[in-house]
Amino acid sequence: MAESTILLIVATIVNALVLSSMYILLALGFTFLFNIMGILNFAHGVIYMIGAYICFYMATVVGINQWLALLISVAVVGLFGIFMERFIFRPFFGNINSIIVVCIGLITVLVNAVAISQPYNVQVTPAFVQGILKVGIVSLSWQRIVFFLIGVSLLILVLLFINKTKQGLQMRAVAQDLEGAILQGINVHFVSALACVIACALAATAGSLMGSYLSLTPYMGNDIMIKVLEILVLGGIGSINGVLFAGLIVGTLDAVLPIWLSGTATQAIMMLIIIVILLFKPQGLFGKEVRA
Amino acid sequence: MGSMIAARDSSSRRKNYTQIILYGILICFLLFIPLFFQSPYVLHLFILTLVYIIAAASMRFIMTSGQIPLAHAAFLGLGAYVSAVLSKHVGLSPWLSLFIAAFVAMGVGIFISFPFARLKAFYYAMVSLFFGVGLLQAIESLGKLTGGLAGITAIPTLFNTASKVPYYYCFLALTLVSLVILYRFEVSRIGWNLKAIDQSYLVSSSVGISEVKYRVLAVAIGCFFVGLAGGMYANYNVTLSPSSFDSSVTLWMIIYVTIGGMNNFSGPIIGTAVLFLIPQYFSGLKQYAPFISAAILFLVIFMFRNGLVCIPGLLMAFYKRKKSTSKSR
Repeated sequence: MAESTILLIVATIVNALVLSSMYILLALGFTFLFNIMGILNFAHGVIYMIGAYICFYMATVVGINQWLALLISVAVVGLFGIFMERFIFRPFFGNINSIIVVCIGLITVLVNAVAISQPYNVQVTPAFVQGILKVGIVSLSWQRIVFFLIGVSLLILVLLFINKTKQGLQMRAVAQDLEGAILQGINVHFVSALACVIACALAATAGSLMGSYLSLTPYMGNDIMIKVLEILVLGGIGSINGVLFAGLIVGTLDAVLPIWLSGTATQAIMMLIIIVILLFKPQGLFGKEVRA
Repeated sequence: MGSMIAARDSSSRRKNYTQIILYGILICFLLFIPLFFQSPYVLHLFILTLVYIIAAASMRFIMTSGQIPLAHAAFLGLGAYVSAVLSKHVGLSPWLSLFIAAFVAMGVGIFISFPFARLKAFYYAMVSLFFGVGLLQAIESLGKLTGGLAGITAIPTLFNTASKVPYYYCFLALTLVSLVILYRFEVSRIGWNLKAIDQSYLVSSSVGISEVKYRVLAVAIGCFFVGLAGGMYANYNVTLSPSSFDSSVTLWMIIYVTIGGMNNFSGPIIGTAVLFLIPQYFSGLKQYAPFISAAILFLVIFMFRNGLVCIPGLLMAFYKRKKSTSKSR
């Protein structure tokens, strides 16, 4: 095999893993919100964008260490999650049309606020990790490897949280049966606030990292939102295993298809693949009957 | 939907007369708009509002069957591009291409809705969203015909004048006819069957309403009118670009419907008029103008859960309560 082919394969695999882990972080938060509050948070992409911009602002304008900037961004966006739960989602529990309207309102406000305050359209957060790892002929940037490791460790943490802690048990109870959970004395509002904070924090982490991996634009949330929806629908809305599996598929396709195809063709092919899969399995790969 | 049935039963003959008079006044007002507003820009806004009213009303018609058609703006684009290509490259009369566009949109709608009828609720919404994105990208990639990302220009227009007044009257007539047809469908047996499917597809299929047939029918009718609106837009606006039909436009159309009121036929009409015209009034604010629409969204959704159409009902209830409390004193 030629040297360039090996390089291409390795680079593609690493790209696929990084993209998948970031997509999965976002889609996992979205699934949390859907399971626990029964809402589709279309503003998730914008939360991701806000997280990325806070990190960028802290790292460049204020000029602190990128990792500290990442933590600040996660904290701020997490607090914003509490606000969202109380004032935006709780009044419209399970009402999909109103949720869409509120989310669009939120998207309009946040995207335009960022677009006005940032005169340049495309920016990049400075690299979190510098240097290149060399193994034989293959060279990889440490940044990608670190991002992948962060993504995987966060995933494991979240899964442990859901499966091993008391709060995680409460979340699963609420997701299974709202009335039953209330009867057992579970504080539903606390659980939804917690879910919202986790979802927003994961989105902010993904956004901050992607701000350095790709680039920042005020409209970066829209494209990623389509990806998240693809993952959700493919995996089955509300299923965590589905998110992991579908996230890998979508991330891999996203890294592999652009080798042969143009950007728009990649999108169209992905849509086609997902539509065909859904026609044969209308509830997604791991989905159950939808509660709506 | 239950409140709607009650409202229909309780509507007396006298209320019908007042309604007819109100509609008469409204239509007279609409007929005189070109005399009130001489500026071509204002007239342009009214014309676009009429186009979007057809699109939003047809979207609501599909939504009554419990399907959320997130590909609707892409169908608007399909109608627009078919009409533009036929009138520019094939050389058909714009009047003919307008209706061909409507039928093409209906055909594509029927073609996709047979397989999509297997999908329910969110899955239908998401798959139609993906279909819309894919359709738009297909239009974009046909570079020779559609001009790709840059769009298509110099589309033949319906009238050979620079004035916008004939367009206004023509579009007003088309909009009124479309709305009357959609309304007749909605209050017919078809409309009630669609609402039954929305409430429970199991119960409705157990009483002999074919779920697939009526869902396809709803999409077919909705897509016909949105294709018509697209053709009107193309042959009025002269230029088209794919960005005017992307998924955010669909979401805005859902907002027009929801803000106006999902449970009422006049909802999308009022919603489109309010949300399309009021932000334009503030267009002098330039990049701050979107905040005005966001403020309207938040205000309406937090104060009037069922949309703007419920305001008269709320006022009426408030008035009655006030009257009864003063009587009891």
